[in-house]
Amino acid sequence: MSALIFENIRILSPGSALNGANRIGIDQGVFVDPNSLPEAPRIDGGNQLLIPGLIDLRTHLREPGLEHKGSIASETRAAVAGGITTVVSTPNTDPLVDSPADVRLVLERALYSGLCRVLPTALLTQGGSGTHLSEMAALRDAGCVALTQGDQPFQSRKVQFNALNYAKSLGIPVILNAESRDFAGGCAHAGRIATGLGLPLNSPLSEILGMGVDLELVEASGARVHFSRLTTARAVDKLRDAKARGLPVTGDVSLAHLIFNETALEELDPVFHLQRPLRTETDRQALLAGVVDGTIDAIVTDHSPHEPGAKLAPFPETDTGMSLIEVTLNLLLKLQSPEAGLDELLAAMTSRPAEIIEQTDLGSINYGKTADCVLFDPEGRRSPETTTWHSAGQNSPFFDQTLPGRIVGVWIDGQSVDAHA
Amino acid sequence: MHGPARLQLTEDGRLKHLLTTEGLPKSLITELLDTAETFLSSQGQPVKKVPLLRGRTVVNLFFENSTRTRTTFDIAAHRLSADVVNLDIRTSSASKGESLFDTLKNLEAMQADLFVVRHSAGGAPFFIANRVTPNIAVINAGDGTHAHPTQALLDLLTIRREKGDPAKLSVAIVGDLKHSRVARSLIHGLRGLHCRDIRAIGPATLLPSDLETLGVTSFHQIEQGLAGVDVVVLLRLQKERMQSALLPSEREFFNLYGMTEARLKLAHPNAIVMHPGPINRGVEIANEVADGPQAVILDQVTNGIAVRMAVMAMTLSTQQGMHT
Repeated sequence: MSALIFENIRILSPGSALNGANRIGIDQGVFVDPNSLPEAPRIDGGNQLLIPGLIDLRTHLREPGLEHKGSIASETRAAVAGGITTVVSTPNTDPLVDSPADVRLVLERALYSGLCRVLPTALLTQGGSGTHLSEMAALRDAGCVALTQGDQPFQSRKVQFNALNYAKSLGIPVILNAESRDFAGGCAHAGRIATGLGLPLNSPLSEILGMGVDLELVEASGARVHFSRLTTARAVDKLRDAKARGLPVTGDVSLAHLIFNETALEELDPVFHLQRPLRTETDRQALLAGVVDGTIDAIVTDHSPHEPGAKLAPFPETDTGMSLIEVTLNLLLKLQSPEAGLDELLAAMTSRPAEIIEQTDLGSINYGKTADCVLFDPEGRRSPETTTWHSAGQNSPFFDQTLPGRIVGVWIDGQSVDAHA
Repeated sequence: MHGPARLQLTEDGRLKHLLTTEGLPKSLITELLDTAETFLSSQGQPVKKVPLLRGRTVVNLFFENSTRTRTTFDIAAHRLSADVVNLDIRTSSASKGESLFDTLKNLEAMQADLFVVRHSAGGAPFFIANRVTPNIAVINAGDGTHAHPTQALLDLLTIRREKGDPAKLSVAIVGDLKHSRVARSLIHGLRGLHCRDIRAIGPATLLPSDLETLGVTSFHQIEQGLAGVDVVVLLRLQKERMQSALLPSEREFFNLYGMTEARLKLAHPNAIVMHPGPINRGVEIANEVADGPQAVILDQVTNGIAVRMAVMAMTLSTQQGMHT
């Protein structure tokens, strides 16, 4: 691998000793001291920002089996166009990812057709049955970075407790969707908007009660648990309290929940039909404040590409999810405000998710770290269009909007990658 | 004005679909009610036949079971001299795996002029109106727990004929407002006509959380809620409410909220009692009230035909004006 040196850049890498530096070298796929590379070619960064490549803890790549919605080729290209260099893939494919063979299949296809780094997750229970534990050690050895129950419930809290206990003994991180089955169901937040539109309601009590029980199981088992896609202010409080008590817990929020609230549903546009519903403005603000104060560790895209037909029905009957991975960095910039600095927002998609999945060689620009980085112009602008969209899923609310930021280049393992090529 | 409300109006504010009463301006509601009045004879009976929609095809597109509402739309269309096709597709198309979108495109190809849509999913008529060929009108005949605008308009017509200007009246709606598209649409309609005193009466399990934002006052004690009202609207109680633990029994509901003669005395002496039907005697309403002089439940049915004639005539006239 060829060496190179970035010059005339501004490094923005939260928590790194090189934060604010103007030069960095890359050799053998890792960041090095540029002074150690006297012969290396120079790249003039034009005084733009160089940040660690973003890490997305939740991406639906749709492959294998759901290629009518998206493929590893299309969705990893979309990811790179959004400044993401590592995606953690969900196991909700067909077949579901619950065996070492499935994990290897995803990794092999990613090697063959993927543009960015793909780290698979797998199911905690066989076939997502919620009854029989998966072969967690074999899954880990095959390359899976975390285990999750996916969208199916555990048959019982006892099975969940056993799964957490077993995962703990192997040291594998577990991702949970806090939910109480008693209050599950519904496609929209049980508030003013959805009530007025007569949509089937999802009570915030589903997440709040579910998380309460999950936290008790974390405390009893000692398992390291990451809560995926929190949506309520109350859940942020619970996570903050649990951390204060020393529990080994982390949590994330989806980009959509930081940008939109329940009022997005007023037009009944199915693009806003999400698996975990958009809630109130108070919730949205609490989630953003949670990211800023570090209670919420990570921001995920929850990128969910769909074929057009999946969204061509009355709102409650459509499939859930939004395609937005390729404007990830633009959306982080859009979220930037005096209250929410770019440092905190970036940390939630670089160094902190790297820690959650124990890939601490990623997510930071510092000597010896993997050379994944993005050069971008924060003053630039981008207007996504359907014709130049890389994701197979056009279920995005961001077309024809002008978003802040323009990506100049992306490097993975020190190699330049281009989504447009 | 949100999506469904905006979609039903032309840019110059005329009615091209009827999807919801939310956001309908007073002038349009009044025009609809005035038009409906012209279809009623001096005895209050709907006129037998007018040639307004001769040569037009009305398709009753019912994805959800309904005999009464469909029949009144059927009669209304016939009285306007339209050709009527009744499609009961609540199971057939779905079981063949045909999507709503494809069903719609097929029916369009059969050259319908107006769709009357009932669907269990809130927003389904909005979805259809958004995607039909521009000269086709869509009328919402009930979608999920969202809206039932023609029922609201016939309620408003009944109120106006019996009690005068709704702006000066107190209206109490009793029962399961939470799951009622009828109540929701009536509230929006009453607000559109500037009614200032709208009350909701029921246990907390049957009242929606957003009532205050709709300008409605909630009462859990019926005696307080009924005091001095001019109009009492009772809602049908579905048996499912007991199964989902929102109520203990029909008997207890009747004991707490059933409309008896004694309770009706708390309202204004000339108050009217309305119900969208079909009524559950001994659950929402006592026999003596249902058959008593203050009940206008059957007048509502009659007015419903005139209102549906008016809605069909107005929406199709707008659509034709736009495209001929």
